Amino acid sequence: MTRSERIKTFSLLACVTCIPVALSYFFFMGQSLRLDESQSLWQVSRQVLEIFTIVAGDVHVPLYHLLLHFWILYLGNTVPLARILSLLFYLASIPALYMVGKLAYGRTVGLFTAFLFSISPFMNWYGNEIRMYTLFTFFVILNQYFFIRIFKDTVPSEQVWVGYIATAVAGIFSHYFFFLSLAAQATFYFLRQDLFPKGSLKRFAFAVVVVVGAVAPWGWYVFHLGQAGFEEPALVAPTSVNLFSAFSQFLFGFQNDNINTFVLSLWPIAVIFGLFTLRRSYRMMPETAYFLTTIIVSFAIAFFGSFIIAPVFVSRYLIFTVPSLYLLLASLFSNYEPRFASVARYSLAVLMLVTLGIEIASPTTPVKENYEGAAEYLNAHTTAQDAIILSAPFTVYPVQYYYRGPSSISTLPVWNQYAYGPIPAFSEGTLGSQILQTTSGDQNVYLLLSYDQGYEGSIKNYFDTHYQRIYQETFSPDLNLYVYRLRYDTAVSEAATAR
Amino acid sequence: MSPYSENDYVEMRKDFLKTDPPKELLALNMLFAVTYFFVLAFFFPIGNRLLFSLLIAGEVFHIWQVLTFLYTVWETSYSAPRDAEHHPPADVFITVAGEPTEMVRKTVVAARAMDYPNFNIHILNDGYVADKSNWREIEALASSLGVHCITRTVPGGAKAGNINNALRLTSNPLVAIFDADHVPHSDFLAKTASYFVDPKVGFVQTPQFYKNYAENYLTKSSWEQQELFFGPICKGKNRLNSATMCGTNMLISREALFSVGGMCTESIAEDFITGLLMHAKGYRSIYLGEVLAEGLATEDLLSYSKQQFRWARGALDVIFRYNPLFMRGLSWAQRIQYLSSASFYLSGLFVVIDALLPIVFFYTGMVPVLINGMLLAAIFLPYFFFTLYVIQRSSNFTFTFSSLGFSMGGFNIHLRALYSAATFQRSAFSITDKNWVQGNFLPLVRWHIAYVGVVAIGIIVALTREGFSASLINNTAWALLNIVVFLPFIRAALPTRVAQGELRSASAPISQKNPYDSIRKN
Repeated sequence: MTRSERIKTFSLLACVTCIPVALSYFFFMGQSLRLDESQSLWQVSRQVLEIFTIVAGDVHVPLYHLLLHFWILYLGNTVPLARILSLLFYLASIPALYMVGKLAYGRTVGLFTAFLFSISPFMNWYGNEIRMYTLFTFFVILNQYFFIRIFKDTVPSEQVWVGYIATAVAGIFSHYFFFLSLAAQATFYFLRQDLFPKGSLKRFAFAVVVVVGAVAPWGWYVFHLGQAGFEEPALVAPTSVNLFSAFSQFLFGFQNDNINTFVLSLWPIAVIFGLFTLRRSYRMMPETAYFLTTIIVSFAIAFFGSFIIAPVFVSRYLIFTVPSLYLLLASLFSNYEPRFASVARYSLAVLMLVTLGIEIASPTTPVKENYEGAAEYLNAHTTAQDAIILSAPFTVYPVQYYYRGPSSISTLPVWNQYAYGPIPAFSEGTLGSQILQTTSGDQNVYLLLSYDQGYEGSIKNYFDTHYQRIYQETFSPDLNLYVYRLRYDTAVSEAATAR
Repeated sequence: MSPYSENDYVEMRKDFLKTDPPKELLALNMLFAVTYFFVLAFFFPIGNRLLFSLLIAGEVFHIWQVLTFLYTVWETSYSAPRDAEHHPPADVFITVAGEPTEMVRKTVVAARAMDYPNFNIHILNDGYVADKSNWREIEALASSLGVHCITRTVPGGAKAGNINNALRLTSNPLVAIFDADHVPHSDFLAKTASYFVDPKVGFVQTPQFYKNYAENYLTKSSWEQQELFFGPICKGKNRLNSATMCGTNMLISREALFSVGGMCTESIAEDFITGLLMHAKGYRSIYLGEVLAEGLATEDLLSYSKQQFRWARGALDVIFRYNPLFMRGLSWAQRIQYLSSASFYLSGLFVVIDALLPIVFFYTGMVPVLINGMLLAAIFLPYFFFTLYVIQRSSNFTFTFSSLGFSMGGFNIHLRALYSAATFQRSAFSITDKNWVQGNFLPLVRWHIAYVGVVAIGIIVALTREGFSASLINNTAWALLNIVVFLPFIRAALPTRVAQGELRSASAPISQKNPYDSIRKN
């Protein structure tokens, strides 16, 4: 690359990197805290050793939580500030992805991939979420860079191997699903051993030993604790719709059912994109095969593993395949005839920008969780004689974060979040007594329902058939507040009825 | 100016013959194909029974095509025994029926330059019986170049009759046959004759390479269509002793030819049927995967359509008149190979069925299966993309979108040929014009264009009926896919394509002429 090309590339990358900053500043940063984020904040507010225990129970690895713990400790405990940590990893991922794209396919593909990544509705969402997903993605990208160097360099240097092993160790402590990325690499290695330098098997074996050695104490610790996943929303086994929705989300973000159905129903268009790749002497490059392997192996393990072991198919867990998907698309387009390539690039970019706009602006975006709005309502309306009941129980975290009113907060099923152990199972038989127990002497109950765990209908039905509903409001998709009058003998309850 | 360098051409002669598909991929492809079919056929709730039956019929055909393709290309490196010193005397036939004299000259000059100890060249001049104006020029050409010219005065049997006539007047044990535009390399005879050391070898076929590949979009696409056939498919057939006789660039044993009564005159695909009959007589066939002669592709859609019709009509005769299932003397591998090759030309029927399914939905709301589209996508997409990849690997990455588009876009030709074969119409042999014929070829793609219109109106009808339903969007996407697949064929018919090329020697505009007008009732 000439000096002017370097300057141009740097400038373009800088511009591309500014896009998420602007989007974050104007749109994403000010959103309400979501359930997962509130859990993160609650978890990292503990002592370090306690964080280990909680994170292990939450079926995660601790790197992000430790970073967030010290980040908050030294920089302050606010939602925007906590989100900036995720944003930083997202921003760092953009040039890193450019490097991978340039290494694999050249400058143009690298730049276009970086651009897609920066306008990605999916990545922008998680780039502003107080969770580990951008950290995870960042390490996967770095790890992929070194992995490609290993089979692309004639003789990979020691630094490359050190970089590979270091990013693998860091990655495995950013999310358990990093193992899927490593599994994809192992699959690719055994399919295409011919690409790798002599002696690479020994070095990979060494890398495995280091990674396993690093993660073993954590594994032992989790095993020693004995229980895991008791604060997580219940997941169900995925369907083919979930499978394709994940790809749709990776490209077009989180959309309401109508848009999602529209996008998914267009799947035969994918066949057209495939047909356009049928060009003379267009061979699948090893890098393409690797990225494809990453996606196929990761999705296959997550999908089929959900039936064999436990449901784990969640699109955000597979976020690390987004860079591979974008790289594949960018390289695919670069192999079209120039006219088609331009049309394809512009079309995709425009579609992603439009869907990004819809994701931001639409109140029906399904992942929006306006606990802040709900809590503000509760702050304004609840009194010491009222009860607030939340279900599912773990939604207590975001409400607690914002609620500053005098009412007591309890959950259905009744759960003490400070007691170590799983959330009690829901029982229809004891529902009435649990409600009486939590609302004893109160005049009104504010029932906030979200994250249906299979019993939300029963709870609502119970209240509807036993008490008078005096108000209801939806704050975001599937986040509903219902107000019921429990007694008729006070001025406060009369005032509530008048409202 | 050609976008290809001389080096590109050298590589192009070899690329399509470098076939080495890994068996694991082929096996996996079989698994995908069978899984897809069984899930679709037996595990999805049926919608409209008629549509479902049509869908399944189409899928049975596709699975047959995929499985026989995989079986064919399973092993493509087989090489029959040969003796490089085996040089029996040969007669070289150059069949001519009105082709430009200069074209014939080039072929004869190249034939004369063949490096082989004992051979005679004969121009088989059918210009007189075919009422072509240059038949005397051809005789003069033969005389000037010192080769024999056999001019028929009694018509009959078209190209096959011409060859049979020459067989009666010649005597060497081997007979090489070239179309007038197929210029042999100097080592053609030496390399092909070496296989006749085995007396059971009936014929040796070599690839047809189109040296005018880069002339225009149509020549390029039709060559790319050929590459898959002359690459992995023919090399696979070689292993199964089922090489296809292609009518030119071949060396035949006179004895074998006589054993089947000469070239078959009963079908317009005389070569294909003659090869079949030779196999039934127990003769071996060899496909030599090396370009040893170079010909010309048709340069306009009309000529292309006529050629495709002839091939389709002849191949379908194998199903309707010479069905290998009931022919004695063939191995099962040969039966499968012949049926597989012939049934390719049934694809037009299934292209139409697949294209009609969205239209039926638009106008009636009926669907063949009652499932959510993503379930279908989950089983279809892996199968489809994997199959595409396997075809690419098998053909050494020479298979292109336009070749697929031409194979599918030619549905109207295939359907016409199917009707003609099924009703036992007799079709006359017509020479394919290798020069650009001037004219408007849009009438040849009227069905394709009509499809676009019917789809557009259908979408409005369906939209009025049910709004933006998932089914409407999905069927629109399917219809769009069909349209995209037809685009290469439509593109080849556009008048602008004609204007861009150099118009040469168009003796008469044939713009509105039906390309199938050579069909006549028995």
